[in-house]
Amino acid sequence: MRFIKENITFILGISIPVAMILFVSASIYIPGLLIKPKFNFLYSIDNNSYYDDSHQYAISSGKIIRKELDLSKRRNSFAPNEDPKLFIHDVAKNESLEISFAEALRLDLDPNIKSPDEFEITNGGRGGGFFPFFYSPGTDYNAKYLKGRSLGKKLNLQIGPQQNYYSFYFLGWIK
Amino acid sequence: MDKIVNMPTKEETLQIISDLAKQQAVTKEEIMTAYNQGTGIIPDQILTKKVSVTEILYYIGGGVVFLGISILMAQNWSVLGFETKVLATLGVSIMAYLVGILFGQNTKTETVGSAFYLISALVAPIGLYVIFENAGFDITGPGIQSLISGILFCTYLFSFIVFRKNIFTLFSIIFGTWLFYSLTGLLAGSSPYFGSSKFYQYQTLIAGLSYALLGYSFSKTERAPLRGFLYGFGILGFLGASMALGGWEPNQSIFWELLFPVLVFGTLFLSVYIKSKSFLVFGTLFLMGYILKITAEYFSNSLGWPLVLVISGLSMIGIGYMSFAVKKKYLSSD
Repeated sequence: MRFIKENITFILGISIPVAMILFVSASIYIPGLLIKPKFNFLYSIDNNSYYDDSHQYAISSGKIIRKELDLSKRRNSFAPNEDPKLFIHDVAKNESLEISFAEALRLDLDPNIKSPDEFEITNGGRGGGFFPFFYSPGTDYNAKYLKGRSLGKKLNLQIGPQQNYYSFYFLGWIK
Repeated sequence: MDKIVNMPTKEETLQIISDLAKQQAVTKEEIMTAYNQGTGIIPDQILTKKVSVTEILYYIGGGVVFLGISILMAQNWSVLGFETKVLATLGVSIMAYLVGILFGQNTKTETVGSAFYLISALVAPIGLYVIFENAGFDITGPGIQSLISGILFCTYLFSFIVFRKNIFTLFSIIFGTWLFYSLTGLLAGSSPYFGSSKFYQYQTLIAGLSYALLGYSFSKTERAPLRGFLYGFGILGFLGASMALGGWEPNQSIFWELLFPVLVFGTLFLSVYIKSKSFLVFGTLFLMGYILKITAEYFSNSLGWPLVLVISGLSMIGIGYMSFAVKKKYLSSD
């Protein structure tokens, strides 16, 4: 006790950064243990990168629809080389399963950005700081996170190395 | 019956020491050595209270050596083999460390030894980067940065425990800070809750507060020479981060904007209490910056920019005078 009393500022000086490390760890991992998102979602991986409302798939009256694309609006000069793929993401298992358009037609979908249990899909942080004091990786902006109710869970999506965050297109929460 | 040894009382002992000091028969160092022998404390080896020009030249020399190695590596990176790179970086670092130990054995060459410790500490991270890069790791990622800073932090903390030199305390603090930033960055990852500049500001706020507290705890010990460095960088980081957390309209944080003047005036008050010019200077500068920020943010449209500048300028003159008066009255002997 005498040591603590005589060295209280030193102990505080050391323990405050340690407390922040523990706080960050706890705020990352504890919500992951306690909060369980319930709603799976449907998304497409679309390499064709069009401007505006030019994604191949959309939601109308809670159902998926396929659109005819106006190729003059495409972002890239090269022609589409493959059809967009559809995936269901299982939030409990954190894994994606590819499905066909016919299978997707059977799903009832909610196209709102927020799920009924208050989660949304966001990009990872861009990172920054200055050498060597970076505050996050800075190379993980392509990563997607399920964010809400203090939870920030990194999603294992089917975004390949040739794709970026433009390729991901959220379609809807599965009711 | 056993003979009772009559130990002098504490007052008598202190009186004897006082008398001996008057006769110049005992030095302060001898008294401290005797005290430390009794308590079992291993005294720290202080570089010197005030750094002389010669010592500054030693450290500049150390910095130039580091610069030379860095340029050599950068210019010949593609042609040098792995072994050569390791020898030119980590090898140099280890050799400089050993030379530092050898010079540190003699009090006359101790400062030269510190310059070699500086070379060692500056080059060691490059050496570790070379090794991890060759092993195929992403050296820019926070994982490897945490590992490298952790290795260096442990090395210099262990060096301090063994050699009790202040320069190792300094290196431990610097590498510990790097470890703190990279480890919290690693834990946070690119989480949407932490992957923003706000997180960096909180990291800097905590690091600054920690520096200031360590500076205060060292101020009355043998590590007092580190006080200026810790107070200066500590209060700069703390107030800088606090001001940044306030943000700018329309994304400002009212909480931090209201708290900031409390922190600044607290800093100015503490500058007198702890006798720190760094606290006074940075407190004054940040108070001026805060007045400019708030007037530009909230009053430039209502009062007009020229009038805002006049008010800000007058406020700064007032703050500058107050700071000068405080320094003259309370900190002139610091």
